[in-house]
Parts: sequence; C-alpha cells; structure tokens
Amino acid sequence: MSYCVNCGVKLDASLTRCPLCGTPVLNPNEFRLSAPSSPFPEEKGQAEVVKSRDLAILLLVVLLSTSAVCGLLNLLVFSRSAWSFYVIGACLLIGVLAFPAVIHTHFSIYCCLLCDGMAAAFYQYMISFNTSGREWFFRLALPLTAFVTVLAILFAFLVRKISSAFLMVALYCFLELAALCVGIELLIRHFLCLPLRLTWSAILLAICTVIVVALITLLALTPLRNEVRKRLHF
Amino acid sequence: MQTTQKTSFRIWYKLDLSAIVYPTLQRRDFSSVYRLSVLLTQDIQPDVLQHAVNLSLKRFPTYKVSMRKGLFWRYLEPNDRPGPFVCPDVRNFCMPMSFHSKDGYLIRFYYYGRRISLEAHHSLGDGTGAMYLLQTVTAVYLRLLGHPVTNQYFVMDIDEQPDPEELEDAYMRYANAQVCPQRPAGKTYRIRGSREPFHTLNVIDGILSVQEVAAAAHKYGASITEYLNAVLLFSLLQKQEEEFHRRLRPVRIAMPVNLRRFFPSKTLRNFITMVYPSVDPRLGTYTFEEVVLHVHRYMRYYINEKFLRGDITTNASTKRNPLIRIVPLFIKDFFVRIFYARVQDRNSSAGLTNMGALQVPDDMKPWLERFDIYMGIPYSRRTNCAIISYEDVLTVNFASCIREADVERRFFRRLVEDGIKVTIESNRS
Repeated sequence: MSYCVNCGVKLDASLTRCPLCGTPVLNPNEFRLSAPSSPFPEEKGQAEVVKSRDLAILLLVVLLSTSAVCGLLNLLVFSRSAWSFYVIGACLLIGVLAFPAVIHTHFSIYCCLLCDGMAAAFYQYMISFNTSGREWFFRLALPLTAFVTVLAILFAFLVRKISSAFLMVALYCFLELAALCVGIELLIRHFLCLPLRLTWSAILLAICTVIVVALITLLALTPLRNEVRKRLHF
Repeated sequence: MQTTQKTSFRIWYKLDLSAIVYPTLQRRDFSSVYRLSVLLTQDIQPDVLQHAVNLSLKRFPTYKVSMRKGLFWRYLEPNDRPGPFVCPDVRNFCMPMSFHSKDGYLIRFYYYGRRISLEAHHSLGDGTGAMYLLQTVTAVYLRLLGHPVTNQYFVMDIDEQPDPEELEDAYMRYANAQVCPQRPAGKTYRIRGSREPFHTLNVIDGILSVQEVAAAAHKYGASITEYLNAVLLFSLLQKQEEEFHRRLRPVRIAMPVNLRRFFPSKTLRNFITMVYPSVDPRLGTYTFEEVVLHVHRYMRYYINEKFLRGDITTNASTKRNPLIRIVPLFIKDFFVRIFYARVQDRNSSAGLTNMGALQVPDDMKPWLERFDIYMGIPYSRRTNCAIISYEDVLTVNFASCIREADVERRFFRRLVEDGIKVTIESNRS
C-alpha cells in the first residue's frame, strides 16, 4: 500500500491515483505485474427501463374510441359539416406527441420533432376541409409549420451536438428568434401578395443582432466570458 | 397498518410521516435509496445468500412490499411476486428504483467478493430498520453455512411473528407537543460541482480507527459525531472561502437523528428527524476549535427529548391538517416537489449521518470485518457523508454525483492533521 504525498492518507492497493487530489501513485518499492482487485466491482449497472404500458394502452384506447365515436356521429347523426375532423386530427396530434413519452422512450429527438411537425401540419390540413378554401393551408400554414419544425430540429441539434453551455444556448435562441420573426413576416406577406420586405420583424432582427454580436464577443474573449459566468451563475 | 376485506384479509401499510416525501421526489435519475454493506471474512456464496434472504424477509413484512398510489396518499402493499433476487454488485450502486418495475420491490441485495449489500428505498424505513434486515440476513446466511448465531441486538428471530410495534408509524405516537417550533430556514452555501453523467455515483470511503478518532475528538472536548460534523462544516467553510462568491452564505449540515434513542419504539420504519448544525461565516472567521465548540453546544442544546418532540409535532401538523389531507395526491406531489427543490434542498450544504457503534452478537463477530453505509445519490449536486463504526473500525463513506472531491479532500486532510490514520478506498477511476 502507498500513501498520497499530498493528502497523507493511505491508499487502497487497487488505486492508481489518489481519489482526493488526483496525484498518481508511484511506489518504486511495489512493482506490480497486475493491478490488485478493487473493493468495488468494474461492471456498471443499468436501472430498469420502465415503459408505461398501462398508460399507453389507456391512451390508445381513449384516442381511438374518441375518434371512432365522433366519426360515426358525424357520419350518421350530425352530418351537416365534417366537424369530426377537428376531433380526429386532435386525437392523432395527441397520439403523436405522447408516442415518445409512453410508448417508444428511445425514439430519436429529431424523429420526434419531425413527427410532431408532420402531425401538426396534418391537423391543419384536416381543419382546411371545414374552411372555404385550402389556399391558406398550402401557402401559409404548411410552410410556417415546416419552418418552425426545421428551426426546432436545428435547435435540438445545436444543443446536443455543438454546445449546451448557457451562453451558447442563449446565442442559438436569439439567432432562431430572429430567423423565426423574419420568416413569419415574409410568409404572411407572400400569402397576402404584398411586396417581400421587412417591417416589424426588422426591429426584432436589429435587437437580436445586437444581442448576438454581444454574445459572440463574450464567447470569443475568455476572461470576459468567465467573469460573466461567475456573476450570472445560478 | 390497515386491513381490508376483499377475498381474504389483505394488509396494507400507510406511509409513515417521513416516507410520504420520498416518493414525491422520485425522478428518472433520482430515488431516495441508501445502502448498507457488511464485509465478511469469507467470500459470499450467492445461492446460500438467496436462501437466507427468502427465509428472512417473512420476518420483515414492511420490506417485502411495493408502492401503490391512492387518490390522496401513496401506500405500501405486500408484494408476493418472486424476489427480491440477489445480484452481483455494480460499480454505480444506489441506482434509481422505479415503482413500476417488473417485480415492484423497493429493496435490492448485492454480493461482491466478501461483501453483502442491501439497498432500500427510504419510504420503507431508515438505516436502523434496514440494519435489522441486513444483520438478520447475514446471521441466517452464516447459520446456513453451519455457524451458530444468537438472536441478539440487530439479529431478529425469523420464526417469530412481527411485533405490531415494529410496523407502526411511531411519529404519530409522539407528535404531541403543544407548540410547533419553526424549522431553520434560509439559503445556505451550495457546492457547485460538475455533474457526472447519468448513472454515476462517486464513492470515497475512509477507514479509520475508532480509538484514534475518539482521542482526536476528546482533544477538542467533543464526541465523535460532533467532531466529524465540525470537520465537515470546516471543510465546507474553507471551500466557500476559496471560491468566488458575491456574498457568503451560512454553511449548514442536515443530520438525521435516530429518535429511538429518545422515544421508546421498536419500529423498523422511519423514525428520524433532522437537525441542522450550522456556522455563519458572515459573522466572522471561524477557527476549527470554534467550529467544534459551536457544534458541541448546538448538539447539546437541541438534541434532547423536548426539542425533538416539538420537531416531530411540526412535521406531523402538515399531515394532520384536514385541508391538506383532502387535496388529491398529484397536487400534493406538485407542491411538495417545488417546496423541496426551492426550500428544503437549499436549506443545507451537505448531509451527514452517523449510525454510531454497531452491536452484533458475540458469536457473529469472528465472521465480520466491517460495515459501510452510503446515503446514495444526492438530490442536488452535493456530497453526502455517512459514518458507521464496528469494533475499532470507523468508516466514513462519501457519496456524490459530482466530479470534484474538494470537500472529501479537505475532510480527510483535516483528520490526518489531527493525527488520525486514514485508509482510502474509492470507485473513482
């Protein structure tokens, strides 16, 4: 057994460095061909993954029965308009949103967001059956939904793969907020057949640009970044 | 304990006063699970251990249960499913326990080399209750190997029926003070460590001599618990001083007190309350001697039957309030979770528990080497310290889910400075 030269504690023979200060154990008097066995096992355990099967079944039954009952009522009793599409679309949307939470817990976040976007678009499409025309859907609702979905997937990608540090997340938020505002205004103008130029979104774009430039400066200057981290930690 | 007539008399158990909080705090990465271990002198035989567990658990009905949800409160229901099965030990122990797992058990048994470990959800009972189970299982295991062991101290007779007092919620019997004293409140210093990935528990064990620690404590005019408490407080004080903080905060330790010492009860369920020894660095710089004296006086003043009865009464008043009782469980869960995260968890900088000197039957002693106790994964990023002693071996077990070991380092260095020889074991790589 060796002692840590910094801490003065005796270290278990299996330890190659002091767990208190990280100092490596170098004892020339103890030549080891193989490391002694550790008092702790090497294998890591995995907590049991519990799928909420009962909740999933209940949810599925409730959503399917609601859709079927409303569809039949619409078909046989109250058949003046396709009102049941609102309910069936909502059931589908809830089902898709709940799918990763209760049924497939290991579903990729990107696929989840894509499915959520598609379900939202489908719901809007079903709503369009009860409106006078579908032009609003194809020219405004669908592009807007697709745009928001892409931004959400991009945000998830940036946070998971690039950096999830507080300042970086703030940077993503403001960049995406600026893009979202510009996108919304341009799509609305396109739908209303107005010239494609920025008005209210330009103000938001300017504010976001200032904040983004400030954040990039903070991120580029390490001492400044550390100072902000110290003062804003929570 | 309640009985209901269905097809036969079916027993179920209300959660005790402490236990109602623990399931509420359950997260995907957190359960209130603690571990007790015993190190034997010979390698463990898993088949024999499994047999010992099966034989012993009948004596502990409140540990062979699963958690169920009612409309207003959760409750424990006897669990007749096969198990719990003994398993090879894992490096990252005290893993979260789901209430919806396949077998539904809230205890786990592990073996590794010469060590038997018991992990229990805090909803079932405190460390003392679980120690009865662990020592009884160990005694039955040794008997199955042909070594006679007497039923004494923590070893119970597995052939006798459980005493109803062992299953009671002892809090409600003693929560009868005429006033409800206020609990200490306010933000305290919190350790800011780098969180380890999910399913990681960093453990550092310090193995000391009881005589050496007692001598060091005696030098300062304190008991072992007071001395070790002061060492932890001083370590936290030093850490806070060395870090950057706009304002200093009090350093406070949450320490469970075994109420069985003050209120006669045989209960195997939770019967503890918390005391909070603290030091406020805003009042000035404390020397170590001053911290020891402060803790010594605090313990002598607060840990007595009168103050503890008041504390139990304060805790029980919430559960007794008719308005709170009729609130549905999910609403209670919501508010308790917020209260715990915002107030209770911030009320202390670290946790420290001392199970004290364990007594075991004389004929069991030749087969035992030492005991360990771990408080499990902390709710927030901090470190918890648990102490237990057997014969002349005192083990200090730190468990945390943060990368840094600053508190542990300062703690053990202080002990070394006071002339105590410390041997360190760890699962940190």
